[in-house]
Amino acid sequence: MLVQQLANGVFLGAVYALFAIGYTLIFGVLDILNLAHAAIFMLAAFVALSLAGLGVPLVLAFALALVVAGLLGVLLDRVAFAPLRRRNAGTLVPLISSIGAAIIMQGVARGIWGPDEQRFPANALSTAEIHIGSLTVGALDVVILAIALVLMGVLSYVLRSTALGRSIRAVAADRVAAALLGVDIERTIALTFFIASALGGAAGILIGLQYNSVSLDMGARIELKGLAIIILGGMGSVTGAVIGAFLLGAVETLSVAYISSSYRDAIAFGVMFLILVLRPTGLFGKRALRAA
Amino acid sequence: MRVKSVFCAVLLLAFGSSVALGAGPMTGKSVKVGVIADVTGSAGAYGNSQKNAYELAGDDLKAGLIDAAGASLTFDVQDSASDPNQVVNLVQKFTTDGSALMIGPTLSSEAKKADPIAVGKNLTILATSNTAQGITTMGSCVFRDSLSEEQVVPQMLVKMEKAWKVKTAAIIYGDDDQFTKTDFDIFSASLKADNIDVVDIKTFHKGDVDFKAQLTAIGEKKPDLLVIGALIEEGVKIATQAKQLGFKGHFAGGNGLNSPKFIDLAGPAGDGVIVGAAYYLGDTRGGNKTFVERYTKKFGKAPDQFAAQAYAAAQVVAAAIKGGATNSGQFCSFFGNMKPLMTVLGPVSFMSSRDVRADSAILEVSKGAFVPFK
Repeated sequence: MLVQQLANGVFLGAVYALFAIGYTLIFGVLDILNLAHAAIFMLAAFVALSLAGLGVPLVLAFALALVVAGLLGVLLDRVAFAPLRRRNAGTLVPLISSIGAAIIMQGVARGIWGPDEQRFPANALSTAEIHIGSLTVGALDVVILAIALVLMGVLSYVLRSTALGRSIRAVAADRVAAALLGVDIERTIALTFFIASALGGAAGILIGLQYNSVSLDMGARIELKGLAIIILGGMGSVTGAVIGAFLLGAVETLSVAYISSSYRDAIAFGVMFLILVLRPTGLFGKRALRAA
Repeated sequence: MRVKSVFCAVLLLAFGSSVALGAGPMTGKSVKVGVIADVTGSAGAYGNSQKNAYELAGDDLKAGLIDAAGASLTFDVQDSASDPNQVVNLVQKFTTDGSALMIGPTLSSEAKKADPIAVGKNLTILATSNTAQGITTMGSCVFRDSLSEEQVVPQMLVKMEKAWKVKTAAIIYGDDDQFTKTDFDIFSASLKADNIDVVDIKTFHKGDVDFKAQLTAIGEKKPDLLVIGALIEEGVKIATQAKQLGFKGHFAGGNGLNSPKFIDLAGPAGDGVIVGAAYYLGDTRGGNKTFVERYTKKFGKAPDQFAAQAYAAAQVVAAAIKGGATNSGQFCSFFGNMKPLMTVLGPVSFMSSRDVRADSAILEVSKGAFVPFK
């Protein structure tokens, strides 16, 4: 049973991780909490669902929805953050601005898709199961885990080994110095938003597929967990966010299995609190992104 | 307040249906029944079904499908808008405007506020959708035609035990919602009374989507039966994920899963889930077939349990008038002594506790539809 529960925790953690790395990436680069990240997560899931409903193959619907999510992220930056950045508005004002943007996106989604939970078309999803010894996992879960790991791998490669990654890390380290060295700041920020939002969107679509459920409040449910994960991992650290996400998935699952399902969230957040008491900067300290 | 009064007046014009029938022993008599229903607001889905049922009952009185012995019977349906204050205003209205009977309100919590006022003014009450405990004990003339879950669940377990020799059970329920918590209380008491061993109890919170940890732990204990105390959205995911994880036992759901929406959302994963209910759409007794046809034609959708219980109330009221009742005291004594009356819910009468005595419908989801569980 432990093996099955750990597998449950890994599948849960993978989607948490995809959500959290987009969140932490923007924080690492801009020092702002983008609370509209969860709204883009939700919108991407609805876009993919609508495309699938129109008969677009699921893989294509997924890819198109990622692009839409990325572009929404760029738009979000242009509208909600860039004007404030130009006026050196600090960190609190953009936070409020992102909440406003999230509320607007929620409203738009409610207008287009209505308040009810929606599901992918029947037969669009595989219900096949894979049995390994006493372990039962859905083929869909495995595919979702694989996609999540690939996307995290790609992000890690981009940050570490490409010119764009170097620009992102430079802007994260010191925006003024990066500008002096010829890095196009606004372009780098826009691309960061594109990547972060596309990853958040991917998480939304995958979680929508995993539980065959897309709803207006799906973002709100994961937002607080995402925030806890990036604080636990160390604000701005991509590696920390991934480890924090898998840790949260495992703690949640094991506390339900072995302690009490009623206290799942209390236990998960209690463990995080303990870790933060021991390591106030989170598992991977502050600003580890610069060294990614 | 003025806006509300105007709104009520408009509703009265729209929904009040005064009906004078041809000859009969009660010709010339007129009876007004005050109905409080949450037609709008958060409980609007239920109240709307109720309003529809009284509208149809008005038509059916005219068409002679419901027989009030020639009396003019009016259902004055007022919208309480899911607002407890509005409910109180409306009860006060019905205690002074010559209503012979009050039907409603929609929710048990509203009834707890409204009924004592009516009881104080000796107005007889017939509740059609209040399933909580302590409704009929509020007064000696408070009746209800809605079966409570306490009445349905034991009947359901007896049938399941007979069919499957159930020895062990596990329960998963939402511990942050009064409705699903009540499911848990009732099921665990009934399972205990039937000597079925409860091997595991797990909880979840509203809005959860992942139940695999709970279901893996439950699956390990291999119970014969999994009781799901959940509303539709969570119930669908629990049934789906349990099947994915290879759970081999049977499923039983509370009242929350008794909706065609559960079948729509769950698809094949819903098959085999047993629910206990107060009404079965496919019942052919008490004019139910005609009721379903006429309701569907008029409103474009099939009646739900709330509509059926409201329509059954109209049938009961008409029978009381036929039996000579025209005022509150006469309704109270007629209900108290009523012989089983055939309604769309099947044969209905009232126990000495003024709770309804009626058949429960134990239904099984099979190939995308609710069918009677045998």
